[in-house]
Amino acid sequence: MTKTDGSMAATPARQRSRWNATDLGLIAVFAALVAGSALIAAIPVGGMGVPITVQTLAVMLTGLALGPGRAFAAVGLYVLLGLAGLPIFSGGRSGLGVLAGPSAGYIIGFVGAAAAVGWLTVVVLRRTAGRPGKLRAVLLFAAAMVSSIIFVHGLGILGMMVNAKLDFSKAFLADLVFYPGDVIKNVLAVTVALALHKAFPDLLIRRVRTGAAATTHTADVKVDHRP
Amino acid sequence: MSGHGFLLANYVPGTSPLHRAPLWLKFLLVLGCGMASFLIVDWAAAAAALAVMCTVFLLSGAGLLRLFRAVRPVLPVLAMIGLFQWWQLGGPTAARIVLNVLVCIVAASILTATTPVQRLLDGVASLARPFRRFGADPERFALTIAIMLRSIPFIAGAYSDVRDSARARGLERNPRALILPVFITTVAFARQTGDALAARGLGEPDTESEPEPEKPA
Repeated sequence: MTKTDGSMAATPARQRSRWNATDLGLIAVFAALVAGSALIAAIPVGGMGVPITVQTLAVMLTGLALGPGRAFAAVGLYVLLGLAGLPIFSGGRSGLGVLAGPSAGYIIGFVGAAAAVGWLTVVVLRRTAGRPGKLRAVLLFAAAMVSSIIFVHGLGILGMMVNAKLDFSKAFLADLVFYPGDVIKNVLAVTVALALHKAFPDLLIRRVRTGAAATTHTADVKVDHRP
Repeated sequence: MSGHGFLLANYVPGTSPLHRAPLWLKFLLVLGCGMASFLIVDWAAAAAALAVMCTVFLLSGAGLLRLFRAVRPVLPVLAMIGLFQWWQLGGPTAARIVLNVLVCIVAASILTATTPVQRLLDGVASLARPFRRFGADPERFALTIAIMLRSIPFIAGAYSDVRDSARARGLERNPRALILPVFITTVAFARQTGDALAARGLGEPDTESEPEPEKPA
């Protein structure tokens, strides 16, 4: 029941020897961002104003913005403190009791999904270094979808099978409800992430030279390899 | 949401034996209930376990209302699962599944109702201690937790500010206008926090006392 507890606790601390104060700040504040996003009311989307919750959006954006290691630490910290008893899971739930509930798999899945999408983001940004644009956005969207299908939906289904004793097909059907919202959120997450990287070029991608006056290597783009 | 008050939501001050019990003992209780929920196959045993847990909860002096509040968030979905499994697997099995989940939730609320948040967080921070030999630094871990806690009210405030300004511009249906500014603000805030830490010599890796085991980034 608490199988992921101990290992998650250690990881933010263990890899941290390579993280400086700014990384620490980003990890802590993004963990707070996921917590805050779980607590605020759903926002309306589109002409009909279908409300969507922002939490999974914040989880995916953490990966898209910070890369695998720091995103894993941020979302792991959020899950860990929620399990420890802070009322920061959606609906103000908290505590180890959440692990016994049917949504346990989704919450655990957030950690893996953030790390996976972070890793894929680094790969995509590196491969499309010279030509940002539509291709980059589409690839990032694919990365977000793959990560959320494998981790959030995969572990979510597993959680329903273990805790609610549903069989696979029933759990799969119950999980399908979340797909339309997920597609919308991932599209939104990718557009926000691209704007974020534009606003903070050294957040994940490190531009060695941006000013044309400095050198002629204006397209020299390097991806931050920190996990 | 402008303060830290919401973090105290679950704790009920008191002096019962449960309040005085060490954290690890209460944690073992929760862990034991989690294990038991996989082993109990009889709904009557599950009901008995639930009764025991509820009694223990009430012994802490937290009261019936608190007990109800602890299980209320899961009641709708448990009712749905219960009805569905009743139809699929029959009454006793459905009752056993639902009761087992309730046992775990009540046991976990005993822990959070009788332990101050600060002690819970100290417990979490101490989880990093055994990993010190792998380069873990419990103090930086605790620092990260503290920064996260004080940032939650800021984030909630950012969401409400952005929502207000989007409404003022007639963009309250535009998800991008509702979300992007929050994230920009968040990253900027995280950067400032990092700078503030660095300026005070906090949060930087401690290279003098422990050599870095892995290659630097």
